[in-house]
Amino acid sequence: MEQKVLVVDDELHMRNFMTTLLETSGFEPLAAEDGVKGLELAQTHKPILVIMDVMMPRESGIEMYRKLRDDPELKDIPVIVVSAVAKKTFFHSQTVLNQYRGERIPEPAAYIEKPPEPEELLEVIHSTLGGEG
Amino acid sequence: MNVKEKILLVDDEEGIRKVLGISLSDKGYDVFTAQDGEGALRVFKETKPSVVLTDIKMPGMDGIELLGRLKKEDPDTEVIMITGHGEMDLAIKSLKYEATDFVTKPINDDVLEIALKRAYEKISMKRQLRDYTQNLEKLVKEQSAKLVETERAAAVGQTVAGLAHAIKNIAGGLRGGVFVVEKGMELGNDEYLRQGWDMVKTDVARIRAMALDLLNYAKERIPDYKLYDPNGVAREVLALMGPRAKEYGVALEADLDEDLPDVWFDPEGMHRCLTNLVTNAIDACADITCAERDGRVVLKSFAPGNEQYRAGYEVADNGCGITEEMMPKLFQSFFSTKGTKGTGLGLMTTKKIVDEHGGDIAVQSDPGKGTQFVIRFAPMDHTGAASEA
Repeated sequence: MEQKVLVVDDELHMRNFMTTLLETSGFEPLAAEDGVKGLELAQTHKPILVIMDVMMPRESGIEMYRKLRDDPELKDIPVIVVSAVAKKTFFHSQTVLNQYRGERIPEPAAYIEKPPEPEELLEVIHSTLGGEG
Repeated sequence: MNVKEKILLVDDEEGIRKVLGISLSDKGYDVFTAQDGEGALRVFKETKPSVVLTDIKMPGMDGIELLGRLKKEDPDTEVIMITGHGEMDLAIKSLKYEATDFVTKPINDDVLEIALKRAYEKISMKRQLRDYTQNLEKLVKEQSAKLVETERAAAVGQTVAGLAHAIKNIAGGLRGGVFVVEKGMELGNDEYLRQGWDMVKTDVARIRAMALDLLNYAKERIPDYKLYDPNGVAREVLALMGPRAKEYGVALEADLDEDLPDVWFDPEGMHRCLTNLVTNAIDACADITCAERDGRVVLKSFAPGNEQYRAGYEVADNGCGITEEMMPKLFQSFFSTKGTKGTGLGLMTTKKIVDEHGGDIAVQSDPGKGTQFVIRFAPMDHTGAASEA
């Protein structure tokens, strides 16, 4: 089974940290620095998991997350959001967008506020994937 | 009356002074007398009575003139006029000059009593009003002090929270770097080692910058004004920031006005300002995903060409730019457009240092095209010695 995990974060060091964490834990990491590239990589590679930031140039994580959920081929890929944006703020923005656009986009599988602890992130990755399988 | 109220009786007729004086004393007043206007003013200044009872027709200074002079001396003085028959015009005129009341000769005791009562009621009301006003002022002062205290406490809380957040971000970054270095050592992977080490170095530099900004902001560092070459500082900053720019693939260029004279300023403080601005500019270009071009930062020095300042710097980048809504928050503490990468202290400190120099800092930005920060300093009207004061 393919173990591709997509990391989307505009901060180079955060990408390096997460790809190292994934690589050394037996995953095959893919990395993108913004929402647009992230979505392209997701469509091409169909990863088993997406770990994404919120505040990014070009396309923010808030929009990218909704596009992932809107895409029939990608909508079931679990998403872990890792961001400096407070969890409450992110969930609030999703609720507001759902009401405003009359959509019913579900919440992401997990939300971790930056900076993530390696052990914590790994645990969330495993529990998210375990829940899926 | 607990303390005897003072009253000044002015009349040129000795008989009236005597009879009326006794009558007023009997009523419990502390009575002073004068036989003319000049004398009345003298006694008034010495004894400060709250009520003056004066005849309207007197040789020399008449009652009306005395009224005016007394009111000028102390507008709160209540003046009751004594008028004879056929002096109604004068009586009315005296009311225009703010006499409290008038009584006609021969003086009816009851009428005088009523006039005095009214005068003292007015005095008492004025005193109460003054007390209220003073209490109100005191209350306002107390409440303002409390408010300042509360705001200060809130500011301290905010500062601590902001600092904790900034430190947490850097610590998180270090933790990530350490993790990657550890994996590199564990697996003998040089790529991990190199990446992890870069992460650690970046975060150590961030801690250092934050500490320097904080020290500057907390006034720990007293500006050290010297007659110095503004281009010297610019060159030092360019040399310091060169490697960082290269690492991020950003071209860092100099555009220095070599004719700039030495001016009075704090080279170390200005070094801090330029380092902050150039760091921001490089970061803005490194985020170049928002623009399809090579990042470029230009540090320029120039003569402002006006009467106010002797020197200036401009730091221009072609990075992502700053949106209009961000602009008002730029110089606020712990506000950062850089997410977890910024501490929100750099621009705040930069502004403080520029302010200390009696200079100004301006920013212009075109979202998607770039940003220019302009510092102008070394005011014409004072040297470093004066700006230290």
